[in-house]
Amino acid sequence: MVVIKRKYVIPGDLITDKNYKPLSNVIKIDDKIYSTRIGLAEITKEGVKVIPLSGPYIPKVNDLVIGKIVNYSAFAWEVDINSCFSAYLPAQNVFGKEFSTSKDALSKKLTIGDLILARIVSFDRTKDPILSLVEQGLGKIFNGEIVRITPMKIPRLIGKKGSMMKTIEKGTGTKLIIGQNGVIVIKGEPQSILRAIEAIKMIEEGAHMQDLTQKIRDFLGIREKEDEDGETDQ
Amino acid sequence: MHSKRSFIVEDLRKAQLANLLTQGKRLDGRSLLDYRDLKIETNLISKAEGSAKVSLGNTQAIAGVKVEIDEPFPDTPDQGILIVNAEILPLASPYAEPGPPDEEAIELARVVDRGIRASDMINLKNLCLIEGKKVYTIFVDVSILNVDGNLFDATSYAVVSSLLTTKIPKYEVKDGEIKQVDEKISLSFDTIPISVTLGKIGNTLIVDPDQEEEALMDARLTLAVDSDDNIVAGQKGGAGSFSYDEVIRATEIARLKGKEIRSKIKEVLGIG
Amino acid sequence: MKMGKLINEEGLRVDGRRVDELRPIKIEVGILKNADGSAYIEMGKNKIVVAVYGPKEVHPKHMSLPDKCLLRCRYHMSPFSTDVRKNPAPSRREIEISKVVKEALESALILYDYPRTAIEIYMEVLQSDGGSRCAAITAASVALSDAGINMRDLVVACAVGKADGMIILDPNDIEDKEGEADMPLAIMPNLNQLTLLQIEGKFTKEEFEKAFNLALEGCRKIHHIQKKALMLKYFGKVEE
Repeated sequence: MVVIKRKYVIPGDLITDKNYKPLSNVIKIDDKIYSTRIGLAEITKEGVKVIPLSGPYIPKVNDLVIGKIVNYSAFAWEVDINSCFSAYLPAQNVFGKEFSTSKDALSKKLTIGDLILARIVSFDRTKDPILSLVEQGLGKIFNGEIVRITPMKIPRLIGKKGSMMKTIEKGTGTKLIIGQNGVIVIKGEPQSILRAIEAIKMIEEGAHMQDLTQKIRDFLGIREKEDEDGETDQ
Repeated sequence: MHSKRSFIVEDLRKAQLANLLTQGKRLDGRSLLDYRDLKIETNLISKAEGSAKVSLGNTQAIAGVKVEIDEPFPDTPDQGILIVNAEILPLASPYAEPGPPDEEAIELARVVDRGIRASDMINLKNLCLIEGKKVYTIFVDVSILNVDGNLFDATSYAVVSSLLTTKIPKYEVKDGEIKQVDEKISLSFDTIPISVTLGKIGNTLIVDPDQEEEALMDARLTLAVDSDDNIVAGQKGGAGSFSYDEVIRATEIARLKGKEIRSKIKEVLGIG
Repeated sequence: MKMGKLINEEGLRVDGRRVDELRPIKIEVGILKNADGSAYIEMGKNKIVVAVYGPKEVHPKHMSLPDKCLLRCRYHMSPFSTDVRKNPAPSRREIEISKVVKEALESALILYDYPRTAIEIYMEVLQSDGGSRCAAITAASVALSDAGINMRDLVVACAVGKADGMIILDPNDIEDKEGEADMPLAIMPNLNQLTLLQIEGKFTKEEFEKAFNLALEGCRKIHHIQKKALMLKYFGKVEE
């Protein structure tokens, strides 16, 4: 039961003065709920939230991110994850528990400038995010083209159950690796990559639009409505 | 509110104050609209043309007036010059640091200066000797000796008190030349501006916040009121905000307290 | 020195405005690619660029606050922005304005959402006119929302003044210099809270209340222009 769906709001806009639960990117003052961001306001029976259209990437535990190695010591790498916080990748989260400083040299595994797909395993207000590669599919990314978009628009790029992402992959013949932090790596033939980039930019610019899925399908020349509706899944 | 090492109030005191405020009281026993004890001594620096030391509770400020003969500013050839400056001395608090004035010291000096200047307390035209050539320049320098909150009002009262008791050398103008004569004259005054600083803690307005209250308050409002009850200068400070009603109430409080403090200063200085 | 009357017999001002009229205002959003948020404002002859960087890591590190974001703010006038060249070093006036503007914006920002980080706001006055701090605040709050920083409300600012004994809205350069009084203020328009107030010059009780209300009215009009600029940038259209 959606009461309001996708109302355009900016900071300070009153979303409702009814007694709802404030969920995210809203503030409750004297029983009134205001937006704290530019975005799309939604009221459901769970409460009120705003899906923001701009803003920094704030790390969340379990997020998949694409990061760049910027420094390392004997025990850990420092990783730029396109956020206000530097992330750390401890050696144990790469080599496993068997890690020994005498045997394993960090620079042989990953060095400055390397790009990795990693999972955030811990983060809170007081500590910088910690990454891990100990999981199937994570690790160094060896090739592909890097694209960066507003991190807030990543959910739209992924779509419901990955539908938008699948549409682009199918329509362009590429493979996408998407970091929640707004960094995307596209693999494929050069021409296909260019088309995928164009589709991604269309999503970034039109993230607020209702008929975005159809626009992308039209652009990629996908006629049959075989995909699920690519709505934001947040 | 502070970026550098600053005064931190214990949570216990914070809770205590919040509790007291609901009963209209403060940690030192004052009511919401009570000033701390105001003490003024004047003429304590004989080398200065005027001086005043003001204590507002434990906040202490000393002002000295020096007078020079200068050329006027080109855009005001028929007016003397008044320059008010203030400095928080490194000896004034464990949190004060030597070095160039920071934004807080600059704000203090400029707000106090505006309060005096905008009130037209001193008729600058009376300080002109030869138009376009020779005018009096009055420097008022204030040094903060001890910090315990509300530097704005303490500094302003020191400036006002020192100016009210200043005696400047008299000059005679003859054939386009000036000559000092063996006589000292008082400045003439059109009005006495009084600075009133309010603090907002939660939804409560208080006047004359001490250092502890300043550390706990959300916002500050300094208003200067002249002898005719006009608001002549003002400055909001701090990261919090005021409702529009609170602003209007603050102007009413400023008029009321301004009158009280003006009488007190006049009484201490023996001005009728 | 008075140049003569600032308001003529028909009640019009030197630039032809009525006493309660704003100068033309133009706001653009997202004009600097490198910044996390940016805005450009023209208000009368004022032309001001604002950039927001952050939240970002704090340098030097010991300045960082454990529980909230450190806000830094610089209001600066370009040497060519004034009639007489301005020394590029920050003046005492600019340092004071940087401080009050920072506090005016801080009221709206939810800094506790970004502990151990910094947000930097740079306001560069390319051409100055009366009310440049107000225009800078108005643009900065737009740039902050463009940067996607959590805010309770936008902040919008406007000045009122007194010229020839009349209360006037949004004084220009001449009215600012030749007028009797000036009162810039900033508000959070939805929350109805005042976040900046400076007063210089005599206001009687009646004049103060009249001026205060006129400034609030001016702020509400400018808020509308802020909203429109953001809506246009983010949604490609203007609602309402």
